[in-house]
Amino acid sequence: MQENTRRFLLKTITSLPIVGGSVLAMHAILRFFKPTMVGGITGLMAPPDEAGSALQAVAQVSELTKPWDFKDFIYVRKSVEYSSRKWQGAKIPGFVVRLPDEFVDPKDEKSKYVVVQRICPHLGCTFNFISNSEELAGGYNYKAPPPFHPHFACPCHLSVYDPTRPQPIAGSVAGKAFDKLPGKVVSGPAPRPPRTMAFDIKDGQIWITDTEGGGVG
Amino acid sequence: MVNQVPTWLPARIANFIPRQGLLRHLLLGLICAVPNLVDWVADRWNKMDLFDETHVQEAKTNPWYSLGGMWYWAWILVIISGVILMIYYIPETSISFRSIENIQSNWVWGAIPIGAMVRGIHKYGADAFIILATMKCYRIWFTGGYKNGRELSFIVAMVLLIIGMYSGLTGYLLIWNQRALWATKVMATFPTYLDQNPSYLPLGEFINATNQGKTTAQVLLGGTSIGPATVTRFYAFHFMLSFVPMIFFELRVYNRGFKRMNISNWAKLAVFGVILAVAILIPAAQGSPANPEVTPNPILSDWYFLAMYHMLKLQDPYLATILTVGIPVLVLLALFLDRRPETEWGKRQIANWIGIGGLIYFIVFSFLIIEGIADIHRDAPLWYYSMGLFLLIGYFQDWAYVMKRDSAKWWQTFHVFFVVFILLCMSANTLYHYFGDIREWNNSAKALMEQMAGGGAMTQDAAYDLLEKTRPGLNLWHTPAATVAAGKPKGMELWLFHVIGWLGCIVAGTVIGLARWGAKRDAELAVLEAKAKPKAAGA
Repeated sequence: MQENTRRFLLKTITSLPIVGGSVLAMHAILRFFKPTMVGGITGLMAPPDEAGSALQAVAQVSELTKPWDFKDFIYVRKSVEYSSRKWQGAKIPGFVVRLPDEFVDPKDEKSKYVVVQRICPHLGCTFNFISNSEELAGGYNYKAPPPFHPHFACPCHLSVYDPTRPQPIAGSVAGKAFDKLPGKVVSGPAPRPPRTMAFDIKDGQIWITDTEGGGVG
Repeated sequence: MVNQVPTWLPARIANFIPRQGLLRHLLLGLICAVPNLVDWVADRWNKMDLFDETHVQEAKTNPWYSLGGMWYWAWILVIISGVILMIYYIPETSISFRSIENIQSNWVWGAIPIGAMVRGIHKYGADAFIILATMKCYRIWFTGGYKNGRELSFIVAMVLLIIGMYSGLTGYLLIWNQRALWATKVMATFPTYLDQNPSYLPLGEFINATNQGKTTAQVLLGGTSIGPATVTRFYAFHFMLSFVPMIFFELRVYNRGFKRMNISNWAKLAVFGVILAVAILIPAAQGSPANPEVTPNPILSDWYFLAMYHMLKLQDPYLATILTVGIPVLVLLALFLDRRPETEWGKRQIANWIGIGGLIYFIVFSFLIIEGIADIHRDAPLWYYSMGLFLLIGYFQDWAYVMKRDSAKWWQTFHVFFVVFILLCMSANTLYHYFGDIREWNNSAKALMEQMAGGGAMTQDAAYDLLEKTRPGLNLWHTPAATVAAGKPKGMELWLFHVIGWLGCIVAGTVIGLARWGAKRDAELAVLEAKAKPKAAGA
């Protein structure tokens, strides 16, 4: 018993540096697999890099005058990547929709528009703007209550969003940005409304100032 | 051996272990867990069968035992054709679709499109791999081939099937077409739900803080989006997933002197002929180039993911993620619940019904998603309900058999808490889904969980009032007006009743099961001691 214990102790003492060295080596390899700029062990658990996105003009106000006018656009967000280019431009498709006046706060110019990322928060497909009730019922399995108005609808798992109604999201704090998002989920498995984009209206154009992260582009 | 205190245990601790009773067996199980596990795995490792290489005798009379050999042969064909394709394929997003077109159209020998044929063999060979692997898993399941120490054969077959499916997923992104892009996107968004564990789960918040779901997605994609880094990564995974398991199998064949493929050369020729014929008759499709800006409607994945894809429409995504990971785990769990030695078809009906049910869901879900005729609001309860029904039919058939075998009275062999649990699940699902919408049920369940956790506000969804008005006949339970006025979700009383019922059944079933197990172990111990006594007296 005594001998076994001594041998065990010696083995443990010798193996500790070996195990430690292996962990460090593995760490280097794992860091290579994970393209993020946060260094050290903590980098392994860090959230993905969402490189700061620059201002981009995506639509003219003059294009969106009538109710339910909409425009799709592409917003480019760069992120770091261990490819030959060293970065990857993630194209984030988006929608600007002009709401009818009954949903608009007359004092707030920005409330006329709903600006969302077109990446479905369910499993990442690009959703569509459906302005036809038969298409929504037949293709997306949602019979909208009358009077009909257009909806966002995703072809992959048939999530449908109502752009006129806001929905609070889990963990949101009232009064802060992104607390109540337009595009309430009215059908299908999506857990929350579409990811949003913060925007400004300047010189007759709609400018994207910031995007909500977390999706796969 | 199993009932005895191990000799290496210090006497000071050994004295604490009772002479008999449930506590003794639980303590012994805990103390000997590691050595028992090592023994268990070593025994299964020796009996393991991968590609029916140990079933040489059965294969002579029963063609179902040739499946393993045919499976391995399909794998070899896929690897050979794949290596040939690697010569011409270029893994770069801007050019990979074009390089596949080149392989398809430019690589010809006279009038024979060699490139298209090689690609066809690769694609349909992979499909054959999946089909044969599934058939072999079912053969093991239906013939009870996992019993009597052969569990590892089934587990390895199942793991190889999953590896094959992932190899397929990583393989079809390489074409860089629409189907591949969207399937990859769905697959890569999956792990992000692992960061959204509810706070009432133990360690839920801690796991969320580690970002391990997002990290998994990033490691898979090589970034936050699908791009050039993803293609090179998937190229590496695709090759590695197919090649590494093969090396392990070859080493086992080499070490133990097995026959590699337990089929005749004619059978190999037939399998190759069928794959080649399909490749010529139905040329492998290429689709349209990937476009991240447009998701086509309808969009389908490869055929073996279709059923899973349909399931995603019916479920809350967090639950669906857990289920997708959990289905193979559940199958493996069912394997260990079926502990009786009988392997005959009629003597293990509950296992048969689990197998048949799985097959039915796979076929019907795939059909529904291809035809696009499912109603995601109304169909879900039907599926839950039928799942319970399959289990109950299987259970009652099994029960009848056990009663006859042991010539027992009905109450001696009836698992009342199991049956009540299944019935409660069925009634909960049917009732709640017919309140209006699957989401209504999900929302109220979640809200209750939040309430139970002591935080989070509950919201009443006005949209469902509209929905309920359109189908008044389905409102089976009337929530008191005061509850509705307080803004609480509807039907909460029924939900509470079900939760308490489930927990009660689980606890009662566990207690009864443990008591029976302890009694059985005590009886074994008594037999052991009776054998040991005369010897002690003689010495």
